[in-house]
Amino acid sequence: MKNIWVIFRKETLDSIRDTRSWMTGLFSAMFGPIMLGILLVLLGSSTQDDLNNPLTLPVQGSEHAPGLIQFLTSQDVIIVPAPADFETAVKLGDVDVVLVIPEEFGGEFSSNKSATVQLVLDSSRQSTVIVVLRIQTLLEGYSSYIGKLRLIVRGVSPEVIEAIAIEEIDTATPQSQAMLLISMLPYFIIFVIFTGASPIIIDITAGERERKSLEPLLINPVPHKIFVVGKLLSAFPFSMASLALTLISFGMIFNIVPLEKFLGIQISLNVITLIEIFLLCLPVVFLASAIQMLVASFTRTTKEAGTYLPFIALIPSLPGLLLAFFSVKSNLWLMLIPTFGQQLLINQMMRQEPISILYIVVTVLATILVATIFTWLAILLYERENILFR
Amino acid sequence: MIKVEQLSKSFGKIRAVQDVSFSALDGQITGLLGPNGAGKSTTLRMIYTLLKPDSGVAYIDEIDISQFPIEARSRIGVLSDAQGVYDRLTTRENIRYFGQLQGMNDQDLENRMDELLIMLDMMSIADRRAKGFSTGERLKVAIARAIVHNPNNILLDEPTNGLDVKSTRTMREFIRKLRDDGKCIVLTSHIMQEVAALCDKIIIISNGAVAAQGTPDEILNKTRKDNLEDAFIEIIGSEEGLA
Repeated sequence: MKNIWVIFRKETLDSIRDTRSWMTGLFSAMFGPIMLGILLVLLGSSTQDDLNNPLTLPVQGSEHAPGLIQFLTSQDVIIVPAPADFETAVKLGDVDVVLVIPEEFGGEFSSNKSATVQLVLDSSRQSTVIVVLRIQTLLEGYSSYIGKLRLIVRGVSPEVIEAIAIEEIDTATPQSQAMLLISMLPYFIIFVIFTGASPIIIDITAGERERKSLEPLLINPVPHKIFVVGKLLSAFPFSMASLALTLISFGMIFNIVPLEKFLGIQISLNVITLIEIFLLCLPVVFLASAIQMLVASFTRTTKEAGTYLPFIALIPSLPGLLLAFFSVKSNLWLMLIPTFGQQLLINQMMRQEPISILYIVVTVLATILVATIFTWLAILLYERENILFR
Repeated sequence: MIKVEQLSKSFGKIRAVQDVSFSALDGQITGLLGPNGAGKSTTLRMIYTLLKPDSGVAYIDEIDISQFPIEARSRIGVLSDAQGVYDRLTTRENIRYFGQLQGMNDQDLENRMDELLIMLDMMSIADRRAKGFSTGERLKVAIARAIVHNPNNILLDEPTNGLDVKSTRTMREFIRKLRDDGKCIVLTSHIMQEVAALCDKIIIISNGAVAAQGTPDEILNKTRKDNLEDAFIEIIGSEEGLA
C-alpha cells in the first residue's frame, strides 16, 4: 500500500513537471466545447436571420403582375428591381433568388390560363434554401388564393380541389431540436477522458522503457503488480482534470452563449447536472487508463504508443456518434456496454429525463469490471520477463 | 555472498547460459569476463531475478532467489546496462524514490543520501533536475540510487562501459572502496585489463559456459602464461569480442 503511494506520488510529480504533455491534454479538452459552441452560434444566427428578417426579392418585370406584387408586399416582402444580368448574379451568389414575370403573364392571367412565373435559383447553394422555400410558399399561397376565388365565382366550393388537407403537428419542441446538435456532447466527454490520460500513460510505460529506467525500477524489491497499480492511479488525476475542464467548458457555453436568443431554446446544463455527469464518468476514467496502459505497455517507444492510443480513444466514442444520428432508447442491455451506457445516461441527464438507479448501477459495475480485467492483463504483462527484454 | 549453482537459460533455440556455477564472497570483487554475447549479462539478470532460470539455483546471502525474489532483491544493489534516470526529477528525488521503494524510513534515507552525495562528490548537483546532466553525472545518480539501501551484495554490468578515462578511474576506486567495506561485488566486463586490475576472483565465460575460474594466480598457473591477457585468450580460444 505504501509503495503504491510512493509510485503514485513520483509519477504524478514527474508528469506535472512535463508541462507540455498535460497542457496539450487540457487544450484538447477545451477544443470540443469551443467548437460545438461556435457551431451552435453560427447555426443559430443564420437560421434566425432567415426566418425573421423581412424578405427582399429581386423581381424582373414587376409591372406585368401588379396584383401579385401587391400580395407579396402585403406579406412583408420587399420588392426590388432585379439586376440586369440576374442569372449570373444568382450563380455568383450576389442574390439568393430572382422572380421573373414574363410579359404574357397579364394576358394568361386574365384568360384564366395558368400564368407562368420563373424562379431563378441555384439549388446547390445550401444557404439559400430557406429563402427559396419562403418565396415558393408565398407564390403557392397566392396561386391557391386566386384559384379559390375563381371557383367561388363559378359557384364551386374550394374544398373540391383539396382532396386532402394536411395539417402539420410538430412534436419537436425547440429544446429537442437543439438536442440533435447537442447529442454530440457525450461523444466529446468520453473522448477527452481518454485523451486526457494518454500522454501520461505513454510517458510512464513506453517512456520509462525508452529512457532505460524500467529495468532499474523493476529491480527494486516491490512486486511488479504494485508498479502497474501505482502507475495506473497516477493517470487518474490528469484524466479527471480533462473531464472536469470539458464539463465546465460545456457548462459555460450553454449558460453564457445566449442560445435562447439564437435557437429559441435553453439547455439545462446546470451545476448539479455537471456534477452528476462527472461522477457517472469516473469509472470511465479507470477504464480509459487501464486499456491504454495495457496497449502502451506492449509498445517499445513513445512514438509507437503515440500512434496506437488515439485509435483506442476513438473506439468507445463510436457508439456515441450513432447517438447523434439515430434515436437510441436506453435499455438495460445497452448499459452493459462500457462508455455507451454512460453516453446514453448523459444524454438523458441533459434532457432532464428521470433516470433509473438500476441503469446507473449496472453501467458503473460493468465498466469497473471491464477496467479491472484490463488492469489484470497489464499486471500479467508486467510479471513476464519479456516486459524488459524484447 | 552470492552462490550460483548450474544456472541455465535459453531464448528459443539459443542456449544463452549453460550450467554456470560459481560463488562470490563478501569482501571480494568477482569478475565475469567474456566476449560480447557470452552470457555474462544474462547470468547477472538471473541473479537479480528479472530473468527466471530454466534450471539451476542461485542464493543471495543464502536466500533462494527463485523462492524469495523480493527478499533477495532487497539485499542487492544493481547497476545494470540500463541506467536511465528521471530527467524531470532532481538528483535527490531520483535517489529518494528508489530508497522509498526499498522500504527505508525517512530519517535513514535522508542521512544515507547525504552520505552518498558526499561520497560520490555530487553535492553541487543534489538539487538540480537531471535533464542536461553529463554522462558521468548520470552514472553517479544511477550508482547512488542502486546502493541507497546499503546492500551487502552489489552487481555491476559493464560498469566502465562508455566512460572516459577520468570517470573510469573514479569508478574503479569506488568499486575498491565498496570491497574494502566488506561488500560482495560481482561485475561483468569484456575488458581484460579491467578484470586483471580489479578482480580478486575471475570467472571466464565463453559461449554461455564457465571456461575457467579462480584467482588471477590460479589462472596464470593453469595456463602457464606469465600475463593474464595471454591466459584469457588461451582459455577462450580467440580474441574476438574482447578488449
